Amino acid sequence: MNTISPFSSLRIAVQSRGRLREESLNFLRSLGLEFEDDGRLMLSCRNIALDIIFLRNEDIPEYVSRGACDFGIVGENILEEKNVCVELLYRLDFAQCALVLAAPRSSEVKGLKDLEGARIATSYPETLRRYLQQCGISAAVIVLRGSVEIAPQLNLADAICDLTQTGSTLREHDLVPFETLLDSHAVLIESPFRRSQRSLFVSRIPSL
Amino acid sequence: MNASEKPTLITPEILKGTRDFLPKDMAKREYVMDKIRSVFVRFGYDTIETPAIEYTRTLLGNYGEEGSKLMYRFKDNGDRDIALRYDQTVPFARLVAANYQNLPMPFKRYQISRVWRADKPAKGRYREFYQCDIDVIGTASLLAEAEVAAVMFRVFEALGFPRFVIKFNSRRLMNSIMDDLGIEAGIQKNVIRSLDKLDKIGREGVKKEMMSFLEEARCDLVFDVVLQEGTNAEKLKALSRYSTEEIQLFLEKAAAFGVLEFDVSLARGLDYYTGITFEAFLPDVAIGAVCAGGRYDDLCSLFCKEKFSGVGVAFGFDRLVVAMEQLELLKNAQLNAQILVTYFDDATLPNSLTILRNLQADGLNAEVYFEPASLSKQMKYADKKEIPFVVICGPDELAKEEVMIKIMKTGQQKSIPQNQLTSYFKGYVFS
Repeated sequence: MNTISPFSSLRIAVQSRGRLREESLNFLRSLGLEFEDDGRLMLSCRNIALDIIFLRNEDIPEYVSRGACDFGIVGENILEEKNVCVELLYRLDFAQCALVLAAPRSSEVKGLKDLEGARIATSYPETLRRYLQQCGISAAVIVLRGSVEIAPQLNLADAICDLTQTGSTLREHDLVPFETLLDSHAVLIESPFRRSQRSLFVSRIPSL
Repeated sequence: MNASEKPTLITPEILKGTRDFLPKDMAKREYVMDKIRSVFVRFGYDTIETPAIEYTRTLLGNYGEEGSKLMYRFKDNGDRDIALRYDQTVPFARLVAANYQNLPMPFKRYQISRVWRADKPAKGRYREFYQCDIDVIGTASLLAEAEVAAVMFRVFEALGFPRFVIKFNSRRLMNSIMDDLGIEAGIQKNVIRSLDKLDKIGREGVKKEMMSFLEEARCDLVFDVVLQEGTNAEKLKALSRYSTEEIQLFLEKAAAFGVLEFDVSLARGLDYYTGITFEAFLPDVAIGAVCAGGRYDDLCSLFCKEKFSGVGVAFGFDRLVVAMEQLELLKNAQLNAQILVTYFDDATLPNSLTILRNLQADGLNAEVYFEPASLSKQMKYADKKEIPFVVICGPDELAKEEVMIKIMKTGQQKSIPQNQLTSYFKGYVFS
């Protein structure tokens, strides 16, 4: 087994499937890293001692916070939801999206205040809970893994809190966004257990 | 009794220095107790219980002259000399002496129970009160002292006190100081007992008391040594001619556990302490020590030949509650019921009881109103019990398989499908 030793290669965690994967790899290529994307879950760079590890999006903050990976590229929305101890090194210019509150057009819920006592469906319960508490709103958070947009139609929720990029999914379900919790980008994060060879990678990022 | 004779009513009063607690007070006390207990448990302490009444001979002679005076003592119906538990440490020592062969050694336990003292009642001083103790017995290791200090630290942290001071001293060091000052062994106990009152009666008061058994010049010498200023390291340096090894070793072990203040004047009045002693204070509340204790080497020797060295502290539970109240740290203490299910009418009652059972089965604290009274009366009941939610399911709601939730804080009412009730309450975020 490949346990992490102080001398072993640097590891960077990247999303295995989804909208961040290709752009993350492009970013790494833009730093001059050479590798062959052959579909394996772990790739070694040809030109520096760095391995690329493919993980589930939601698992990346955990791996990095525990030092099992030195770096990770992940959506800020995931980072906010997991609320773990990692360092945010660099904000990347892809995977822009927003975490918003939205309600059906016909609903009485038009703004934040109308959420008092309401049912809100979301896949981001921790972020939502913190936001509600900050705003002094008491409401019921209904946790769903996906297809959150459909919950109001099925009378499971009065409003939703979900990610949106272009707003088209919301429009398709006749949902009107009225509040933004978070403007999210892809971010480069680093483990709190910094290793000395980190500069091998970090020195390649022009603005760091 | 003659029918025309009115029975004499008994005044519903209680003894001075004792208290009744109504549910709202108890909610606060339970909140504090749970927090303290959870820290004890986190360090692996199990609990025991000992009787409230013991033979007087078991307790007497352990607490010094003052303690013996304050002990509740009486003859029972069989003419036995009985005393009420005065603290938890001596009964614990008795229990260990009787059971040590079956106990894991070292043995550590926490105990939360009532003790009784015939003290003059005053603000924060009661005749019946709770102590929360931890003790480690059967090891002389200073790591035990360090753990006890860590537990103190974590308890105050868990209770949310913004500031607290844990002071410690060493009985061995005090004895070495007094030996050096030429104070006879027989008088040393008296000096320590007087110094224990330093916070209460001040330097002059203590000096006056000490002058009844020590010449004035010696009293001043004692104060010169024990009233040290500066950091722990500076104090240790100033005292280097005395036996400070124990303090140094303890500080090394305790370093990982939190900040402690070495106070050479700290004197625990009880006779049984032999090593490190502790006292904790809250700088924001003038209420005296809220936790105290130390190392006792010979406690069980009254009850058995085996030697058990032990260390422990007692938290003054009632003082902690008073202090937390004063600092507004009890806002999260809540009464138990979260949901009141109304009794709308007899036709809908079976459905309401099903709702109740489902809420309870899902871990929510719910109760039903006992009579089909007006909704406003049932609401008033919920209000008085500080129940945050009322669930109403009358015939209209029942027909639609819905329920009406009334959120008491805002007065808002909300209808949702009956089978979503649990997820609604479980997901509810109070802001």
